[in-house]
Amino acid sequence: MKLLSNELRLIFRSRLSSCALLLLLLLSSLAVWLGLQQVAQQRHTIERLAELQQKDAEAVADRYADSGDAGSFAYYTFFNTWDPPSDAAYMAMGMRDVAPYVLRIRALGLQAQIYDGETFNPELALPGRFDFAFVLIYLSPLFAIALLHDLVSGERQSGRLRLLLSIPGAGVLWRRRAALRYGLLFAALALPLLVGALASGTATVAIAVALLITASYLAFCVGLSLWVSSRGWSSAANATALMGAWTLLTLVLPTLANMAITRSIPVQQGVDLMLAQRETVHGAWEVPRQETMQQFFEHHPQWRDTAPLPEGFHWKWYLAFHQVGDESVAEKVRAYRTGLEARQRWTEHLGWLLPSVGAQAALHRIAATDLTAQLAYQDRIAEFHREIRQFFYGYLFTDKPLQREDFSSRPVFAPRATDTVSIGAQLLGVMLLGGIVFLIGMARLRWLDASGAVSKRHHSRRVEADLAVIDRVA
Amino acid sequence: MTVVTRIAREEWRLLLRDRVAISGLLLLVLLTLVAALNAYEHQRSANAERAHYQAQANHAFEAQPDRHPHRVVHYGHFVFRPVNPLAAFDPGIDAYTGNTLFLEGHRQNTANFGDVRQSSLLLRFGLLSPAFVLQVLAPLLLIFVGHASVARERESGTLRVLLAQGIAGRQIVAGKLLALSGFAGLAVLPALFALGWLGVSGHAPWEQALLLAVAYVGWLLLWALVVVVVSSQFQRGRDALLALLVAWAVLVILLPRWLPDLVNTSVPLPTRFESAINAEREYKELGDAHNPDDPYFSAFRAQVLEKYGVTRIEDLPVNYKGLVGMEGERASSALFNRYAEALFELQRQQNALVDHFSWLSPTLALRRLSMTAAGTDLENFQRFLRQGEDYRYQLIQGLNQLQVDELVYADDTNPKKENRISHTHWQAFPEFEFRPAPPGNVLDRALPAGLVLLCWLMAFAMLIRVAGTRLGRMAR
Repeated sequence: MKLLSNELRLIFRSRLSSCALLLLLLLSSLAVWLGLQQVAQQRHTIERLAELQQKDAEAVADRYADSGDAGSFAYYTFFNTWDPPSDAAYMAMGMRDVAPYVLRIRALGLQAQIYDGETFNPELALPGRFDFAFVLIYLSPLFAIALLHDLVSGERQSGRLRLLLSIPGAGVLWRRRAALRYGLLFAALALPLLVGALASGTATVAIAVALLITASYLAFCVGLSLWVSSRGWSSAANATALMGAWTLLTLVLPTLANMAITRSIPVQQGVDLMLAQRETVHGAWEVPRQETMQQFFEHHPQWRDTAPLPEGFHWKWYLAFHQVGDESVAEKVRAYRTGLEARQRWTEHLGWLLPSVGAQAALHRIAATDLTAQLAYQDRIAEFHREIRQFFYGYLFTDKPLQREDFSSRPVFAPRATDTVSIGAQLLGVMLLGGIVFLIGMARLRWLDASGAVSKRHHSRRVEADLAVIDRVA
Repeated sequence: MTVVTRIAREEWRLLLRDRVAISGLLLLVLLTLVAALNAYEHQRSANAERAHYQAQANHAFEAQPDRHPHRVVHYGHFVFRPVNPLAAFDPGIDAYTGNTLFLEGHRQNTANFGDVRQSSLLLRFGLLSPAFVLQVLAPLLLIFVGHASVARERESGTLRVLLAQGIAGRQIVAGKLLALSGFAGLAVLPALFALGWLGVSGHAPWEQALLLAVAYVGWLLLWALVVVVVSSQFQRGRDALLALLVAWAVLVILLPRWLPDLVNTSVPLPTRFESAINAEREYKELGDAHNPDDPYFSAFRAQVLEKYGVTRIEDLPVNYKGLVGMEGERASSALFNRYAEALFELQRQQNALVDHFSWLSPTLALRRLSMTAAGTDLENFQRFLRQGEDYRYQLIQGLNQLQVDELVYADDTNPKKENRISHTHWQAFPEFEFRPAPPGNVLDRALPAGLVLLCWLMAFAMLIRVAGTRLGRMAR
């Protein structure tokens, strides 16, 4: 205990280390605070819009209640849908700034509504959010480098290295120092995260997973820093090598990978389906109405034996051709969806190689703010849209007038309950990478020689130990 | 050979023997080339794809059968946003904006199918482009290569020797700066070639390509200055390195991300949801064309009747229903445009706030300059939306005019009658063509950011003089 507190004092006596730790604590607190603020803002917006929507629906009811015309109700009534931020969303805002989390839909063709965007400022979205994910993935490695790049070389440069190495059990000393720095870095990240979790009532599992991701990713950075520091280079060379590695891992390789994934999995089907759906919908005015109805009944036989179309316009025909339009592009919708999912899947695969990508994917999965969460919201909208259609069809196909009290029993959107996130593989990838690199880095500290590098004599033993470590982890 | 060039040559000799410098430079050049080729190829294929879709949409519009013009108003049209040629250098917000805009009557739609919603979060790591390489990575390389340039001389004691030989501190610093700038020149060279090719071959306006070239040369020069100034302030190279890395992390990574986020929360944008509801409510308040007693449309009717000198709408020589459609479209478009412009204004305010911070981080100034010159900034996107809206308005009003002229009121109000006009009318509408901002306008808008960058350069040019003088004095 005494030793530990001594080491602790040493760390905090160094201006660089104490400043770095304090700064990291500040930055992660700031990020968590901003995240909580944004989540609160989004929740507030959802509530405010629900009220606004309620008034809007009332206005529709006022206008058409007397007519009892279900078609007018179907055409003019918008329904609100929303995707509330999860209790872990404050960690990683993900796509919630560029994709809608509130969307109004009505009983017309879904495919012409569901891809509508949200208003946001693309120039502000471009650099990305300042959230905990950013602090963890981009900034925390820099702090690990700052604290560890001169762990060994600093002692050599100040002339204490020989003395330290002559102490029996010097390996333990280095590892204690490294572990202490790791612990402090982790604390600087984890404390604000925990406070945030308390403030937003994050589920225990989610916060545990987030902490695991943090610990694993940090372990990777610390392990890599130790690996480099134990090579006997100068502090400047260590810093250069580590910054080079950081640049590759967080800036260069992910963008190269993104380029590869975007090019190999095109998703232009989105535009295709939009164009095709519009042709079918508007083409309906040119084809005999009975033909459209037959197409419709094929998928919805429950309305087949209802009253035939009258001479003039009837809303049920109008809504039917909208639905036929949606159904005519079902194949394209699936293809589009498959493309998006493939992009997401390959990103997750990449997490096995790049801890930055792995940690990002895992953290956003836990926060439910990634592409998968977006698609889940769209699925929920589609489900709700089916309910809306069924509701109006019940009146239109039976020619039952829609009264005010019927209108108040219209379907109400219920957001998907915070889905139980399956995160196994992504988390495992980050943990494995972090664990292996950390253990290798720690193991190398055992065989430092007077030059501050792992001695030649121990070279073969070192390799064996490294392998043993990998064995143990895998 | 002057003293300065001799010092620079010595520094060069060291640089060329430095493994980090050489491999870093090679990596950077390689990345620039890969990025340039990829961005160019992406820009080309995206444009080919969008041109293809535009042609398809044009064809679909023109090949419509005989229809009632109001059907066509709802059938609408699609326009696709082409990628500006210089996006091959700096894609800017291209991936964050939709490229497909559906135009129809009585509505303003969003541009959809932007890459940002069609990619995994991997996209948020950034796009590999020559601009990204030069903005973010090149300064880092200059730091690695140059952090010890002056500090090394001091650390090893050669600084004293140099000064004792009668070389002025300023000359030493100038020599180091020359060497590092030369190195930076090598790093920026492939990008300059790419820009030169884009400008000379006529792919892009040469003025804008030139502006980009100047901006990035200035940017790297600024970093060379920063590196040499900082290096001359520290006793040890490693301290200079740490200080520079912190500066880089704060100026290039942290602030350009944090400040926009701050602005985003301090100037919130209304959601599309509420703007739509509010606009619709206002629209309803304007009047109801179907209500014979509606004050707004009664006044309109009276005005029309007076203009044609008749007392009943049935006696009008034109189709009154079409006129009402035109009036409704005019009023609703004015309303929607008001909302759209209010939003644009808010976005502009946000960007202006961020721009103020370029006094804090020159990266923000460079980014503004770069995106503006490349035509991949918000202004350009808003330009597309505006032109799309203009086109939509002309199209819809053209169709309404057809309803006014080609259909008879009595027929048009008879639900039993099929009212269709010849499909040849559809072919008479002009096709949409996006007109990017003229280079003069681009240069004007880039000017403020350019000035900020110039101020940064001048400030550090001044600092380096001071640093040189101090260096000389200190040795005495």
